[in-house]
Amino acid sequence: MGRAPVSSDRGGSAPGAPRRPRNIVVWGSALCLIAFISASVATLPFSSRWYNVQALGRAVRHRPAAAPVVDIAAYARASGATAATVPEPTAAPMTRLAHGASSWLGHDDLGRSLLFRLLPGYLVSLLVGLSAALIAVIVGTTWGAVAGLAGGRVDLAMMRIVDLLYGLPYVLMVIVLKVALSQPLTQLFAGRTRLAEIVVLFAAIGGMSWLTMARVVRGQVLSLRAQGFVEAARAAGAGPWHILRRHILPNLVGPIAVYATLVVPQAILQESFLSFLGIGIQQPTPSLGRLAADGVEAVNTFVGYWWLIVYPCAALALTLLALNFLGDRLRDALDPRSVA
Amino acid sequence: MFRNVLLACLALLGGVVALYAAAEREPRAAFTYVNPSDIHTLDPARMSWTQDFRIALNLWEGLTTSDPRTTEPVAGAARLPPRVSDDGLTYVFTIRPDARWSNGDAVVAADFLRGWRRALEPGTATDYTFLLTDHIAGAAGYVAWRREAVARLTALKRRSEGGTVDTRQMPALEQVAALGPGMAASGAAEHDRKSGSAAADGMSFHVRSARKHAAEMDERFSHIGARAIDDRTLEVRLIHPCAYFLDLAAFPCFLPCHESIELLRERYAGLPITAEGLVAYDPQWTKPRYHRNGYPGLITNGPFRLEDWRIKRRARLVVNPFYYDAASIRCRTIDMLVYDNLTAAIMAYEAGAVDFLPAMDVPYDHEIARLAQSGERPDFHLCQTFATYFLNFNCVSDSVNGRSNPLRDARVRRALSLALDKHALVERVLNRGDRVARSFVPPGAIPEYHPPAGLPMDVAEARRLLADAGLDPAAGPAIELLHVATDELICQAVARMWEENLGLRVELRSKESKTFGEDKAEHRYMIARGNWYGDYMDPTTFLDCLATGNGNNDSGYSNPHYDALLRDAAAMRDPAVRLGLLRAAEAILVEEDFPILPILHYATPIAIKPQVQGLYPNPRLRFPFRDLVVQR
Amino acid sequence: MSKRVLRRIILGVLTVFGVYALTFLLVVSVPGNPFQQGERNMPREAAEALRARYNMDNNWAYFGQFLRGALRWDFGPTFTYADWTCNQIIAESLPVSMILGFLAMVLAVMIGIPVGVGSAVRRDGWFDVGTLGFVLLGISLPTFVTGSALLTLLSVTWKLAPVGGWGTLAHLPLPALTLSLPFMATIARLTRVAMLDALSSDFLRTATAKGASPRVVIWRHAFRVAFLPVLSYLGPATAQAMTGSFVVEKVFGVPGMGQHFVNAALNRDAGLILSTVLVFSTLLVAFNVLIDVLYAWLDPRITEAV
Repeated sequence: MGRAPVSSDRGGSAPGAPRRPRNIVVWGSALCLIAFISASVATLPFSSRWYNVQALGRAVRHRPAAAPVVDIAAYARASGATAATVPEPTAAPMTRLAHGASSWLGHDDLGRSLLFRLLPGYLVSLLVGLSAALIAVIVGTTWGAVAGLAGGRVDLAMMRIVDLLYGLPYVLMVIVLKVALSQPLTQLFAGRTRLAEIVVLFAAIGGMSWLTMARVVRGQVLSLRAQGFVEAARAAGAGPWHILRRHILPNLVGPIAVYATLVVPQAILQESFLSFLGIGIQQPTPSLGRLAADGVEAVNTFVGYWWLIVYPCAALALTLLALNFLGDRLRDALDPRSVA
Repeated sequence: MFRNVLLACLALLGGVVALYAAAEREPRAAFTYVNPSDIHTLDPARMSWTQDFRIALNLWEGLTTSDPRTTEPVAGAARLPPRVSDDGLTYVFTIRPDARWSNGDAVVAADFLRGWRRALEPGTATDYTFLLTDHIAGAAGYVAWRREAVARLTALKRRSEGGTVDTRQMPALEQVAALGPGMAASGAAEHDRKSGSAAADGMSFHVRSARKHAAEMDERFSHIGARAIDDRTLEVRLIHPCAYFLDLAAFPCFLPCHESIELLRERYAGLPITAEGLVAYDPQWTKPRYHRNGYPGLITNGPFRLEDWRIKRRARLVVNPFYYDAASIRCRTIDMLVYDNLTAAIMAYEAGAVDFLPAMDVPYDHEIARLAQSGERPDFHLCQTFATYFLNFNCVSDSVNGRSNPLRDARVRRALSLALDKHALVERVLNRGDRVARSFVPPGAIPEYHPPAGLPMDVAEARRLLADAGLDPAAGPAIELLHVATDELICQAVARMWEENLGLRVELRSKESKTFGEDKAEHRYMIARGNWYGDYMDPTTFLDCLATGNGNNDSGYSNPHYDALLRDAAAMRDPAVRLGLLRAAEAILVEEDFPILPILHYATPIAIKPQVQGLYPNPRLRFPFRDLVVQR
Repeated sequence: MSKRVLRRIILGVLTVFGVYALTFLLVVSVPGNPFQQGERNMPREAAEALRARYNMDNNWAYFGQFLRGALRWDFGPTFTYADWTCNQIIAESLPVSMILGFLAMVLAVMIGIPVGVGSAVRRDGWFDVGTLGFVLLGISLPTFVTGSALLTLLSVTWKLAPVGGWGTLAHLPLPALTLSLPFMATIARLTRVAMLDALSSDFLRTATAKGASPRVVIWRHAFRVAFLPVLSYLGPATAQAMTGSFVVEKVFGVPGMGQHFVNAALNRDAGLILSTVLVFSTLLVAFNVLIDVLYAWLDPRITEAV
């Protein structure tokens, strides 16, 4: 189908027209992501120490020098104003489950600062999403491109395998992967169990994320193969490798980028589901999904620790909305359907 | 055309709605309660969950039953007191003449033996066989003999058939056998003749062994220490004197079983056992309306009978009209609803749709505990349960997941115990009214038993012990703490306390429950959470778990001195001396060896609507509905 | 046409068999004793004998036995709920999930498509950004959050609906709405992209140039083309919605089938895992074939696609 390039009626706004909401949303989304990411990364040196510091009153009275906890004074020097938001762990009155002037985002039921759990949790979630996207790009593109280029029986077989994997029980897959991969990965990472567990989870979530990508890429390759310029190149005697590299891959970049953007929010949601089941990220490592799953219980008929659900969900919703919006607009810009 | 599709959708939608509106609604029961998960089984021999026990003890009645207020044993289907021999070993129970099954049949001694046998048989029993084998003379020998035979027949079956037999084809044989005992024998002979030519030699050897074993089974069972003297007299011989036997007799695995179940017995080659030598019944026997082979549906002998049971929705109990005390039961219908989401169940209770919540242990339940304790909500109660939450220390494995296991050293276990601030855990982390545990056996539940006091927290001593044991906290291997998702909160706090008090590195590993259970039973852990609910009112219900070789000894703990104390106590007749021996044994656990670290005794919040009378909070969470009165 | 459908059906049956075989592989490779319940450990001989009794000690025998049973619509015993058979569990829960799933899909289509069309027509306007943003919340928040929020607000605070459970009309709307949100978002998004595509195509420009009213152009011409990708999404989505969602069932206490997918896996209940997977993949294939037929009916030009 020869379709005219459609960009002429897309981006440009008429002179003098009011500012387009699209631009506001795109910039807003981008800003939101950048702000969250930079805040998380910038505070990582502190939050990595503070995310599991519990305020249980008497419990931590015998704190040896060797304990991996920074001194409150040193912390205050380093972070200036925010020090006020962190409870002194040995303070006598209970600061657990508080939300008020003395703390920015409140504390959870172990007296940990929610702020310092949100910040690294944000990065963990983002890593889950990015690793799934990475797996999707690598495995999905290869799988789809090979199937699409080979065609015929190979194509049929490869796509049936994708169909099969779609039908598998996801939770069982995750459990099997966890059981199968935990041991070797723990050994690989020299006994760093927690790292191994996180990597297993990345694999389990990424393991299912490439399926859609494979389908999309295959569809693109099939339609590209049928296009005139590929035919022409083939007629001119170009080999399959040359065609792939010069004609097909460049045209695939758009759709791959778009779908990769959309895989990120899906994977983050997937992780939150696994956390809800109790087979997601291991405590005390935080993630947005983990915090939301814990927070859902914190508001009921009797208790109303709303901050435990509102802040993690706000961060989650803003991030995923931003990612989804950016993905959509990216698709508009690099419309996979008008690659010609 | 799209309009058509839309219209079709709307029409379908309307149809569904109309169908729903038209469906008849049953009237609400007189009393409604909620279980957080569905009943796993209504087969008393297989039960191991509290919600299953709760319903079983209202459907069936053992020789004794629990007093709703005190949970002390009171007369059930048998008269109390039984005749007890001078050596305290033989109990003779007389069954009430007016004890009836829900179809009007008289309850006889053989019904009890049938029920007890199902609780012993490897095919029908699961978790509580030990309650019979530990107490009834000869029962352990019978079970061992049966297990050995089952293992042998299983191997024979595998060899002779290559494992390709289809158990689904068995009903054909079963029907031949179900004609009656006499016909069953001829049916078997018939089967043998038919299969004799066709089957290989191995097959017939398998069948011959099975037949020989089946012929011996009843004979062997008749030699265990439980027999029916006549229809109304049941004699039980015990291995050793047992102060709590009457309490035990109310437990689900001691419940009777109506003879109609034999109609649903699975047979192999005309024999009353399966090819593996198991005694097995069609699992549908617990359904009120199941009529294969002329089965009349579930028949029970308790105050209630099962009217209806729909999985994940509801079970309805109605009064058993033949129950001897049926006239005095005021609450005639009871609904058990299933809510997977306990928070929603609490909301339903608040909205008035539910009268009783036997559990409210949702996350963030400290507010519920506070409301119950302060009296602001008189309908909320805290049950100080006969249960302990503790940590298992792995005492056997040299290495766990490729790391050396420092917990083999008793000094390390002791140090970890000393460095834990249980008060902070209970009062500050959970803050829901639990009691701090110093001992394994919850104090106060057994009137004459005073558990040892345990050791107070002492961090300096703990650090000294670690140094003694040659463990450098900072450089040594990280210690793994295995738990399940529901106790993340407490385990995170425990890990942090050890990190801060001892400088140890502690890694939390949350597992989903099946993997967790397997890892724990196979000793693939360093520290693992555990909890234990006492089954009968005696310290041994807890202490036996840590005897050498006990199936629930997840620590792998073994101390000959401890075992000897338990053995001596078992043989001791004088109750005071016996409890003294048990106390000495428990002191080894919580003051010397530390195979476990008791943390708390659960306080379970429950809610009873003010208009409900006859339900009493109790440590065993047993709620007989016999005395219920609901005023509306 | 019929040949093509036949081919799809045969391929579908093969897919179902493949899913079964792969799931079986997962089931036998995952550790855990399906017979044990609760905290207490089971004697080894008993576990062995039970495995032998259900032929689970011989994977090939079990594989064949389960498949033969399944062909006769007999999925055998389950161990999580020992008193029930898989057939009974599916018979109790599948209708519930199908009703709920159907309602959810109707909701998703009836809201998702207008939002998608509208936001494509008023592209980049506030309507586009606003409605799409709202709908996209469905895939920007976990279902357990949206479900709990709806439950707390509508049932507890405003008392508009009962707090969970099943059996009356009033129990339907909240879980159906919660279940529909992610599907709604995806449908709106697919419709929007397809509409944008269709609106910029040549034949529509021609139609507009010939003076057709915008309404006719949008709904009669553009939407017809744009509906096709949505339709091909509806197949798998309906199969998914109709086999239930663990989270929605947990939050609202709905006795549907979604919980059994998860619980069976967590309990290592081989029979229930295999039977739920078989039901799901059969539905998936059935809906895909159905959509295929619809596709050919809506757009007769299509002979070879997807």
